[in-house]
Amino acid sequence: MIPILGISIWAVAKGFILVAFFLYIIFSFVVVRQIQLMTETLEVGFETQLKILSYLHLAFAILVFLAALIVL
Amino acid sequence: MPDIFINPPPSPKEKHRASGHSHNPLTAYCYLPDKVNFETRESEEKVVLLLRQHPITLVPKALMAVLMILAPSILSVFPILSFLPANFQLIVVLGWYLITTALILENFLTWFYNVYLVTDERIVDIDFYNLIYKEVSDANIDKIQDVTYKMGGVVRTVFNYGDILIQTASEVPNFEFLAVPRPDKVATVLQDLRIEEEQEKLEGRLR
Repeated sequence: MIPILGISIWAVAKGFILVAFFLYIIFSFVVVRQIQLMTETLEVGFETQLKILSYLHLAFAILVFLAALIVL
Repeated sequence: MPDIFINPPPSPKEKHRASGHSHNPLTAYCYLPDKVNFETRESEEKVVLLLRQHPITLVPKALMAVLMILAPSILSVFPILSFLPANFQLIVVLGWYLITTALILENFLTWFYNVYLVTDERIVDIDFYNLIYKEVSDANIDKIQDVTYKMGGVVRTVFNYGDILIQTASEVPNFEFLAVPRPDKVATVLQDLRIEEEQEKLEGRLR
């Protein structure tokens, strides 16, 4: 791809993708926090599984961010 | 006036035989749930009903999720992403799965935490609109003025679920229990609790 003003379009795309994935990490952190708060509001005996799910989701988001950082 | 007769609480055996009693935390209708507790519950308050939207309401969302999961494999037949370098293609697919995960998680949490509770003292409506906004409202049983339930349509009749509209004299005038299973039973339970509450008032009992 031809660089515009000396900047490769793929470098710009990489920047946008990394910002998007970083925002997703923040979103998954909000999910973790919200599940913690909802657990205090309501207990039905499924809290541990939900908390594990939210942490796995956060880990997945971080892994994808790192993968993008390395692969791109 | 001294209490002459007070209904004894149901024994564990009786409770487990009661219609609608379940130990599944993902159930949409549970009569006398075992492990349910909520933030503002008083120590002697007993949860009589736990309600959520009928699981059938999740089917369109589940189908959408399945389509989204399968989309990258189906679309791999068509060279949509071929203009991208291989490493970008991989990251785009990973990003797609992230979006899919977020959608599934948000839909599940919205369903799971949108709970309607009926206790022996009040009704509690926990609304979890999305990941950053929730609303909890409650009204005492003796404030209930009118209970209406409606069931309409083929799917609702087949799967026996409907909406319950509760009009109250409290700060929140209307409570809507939407798409809950067995609306007729819920209305009956509410009616029984109202009668019990009236009785308690007449007898001057606190609980």
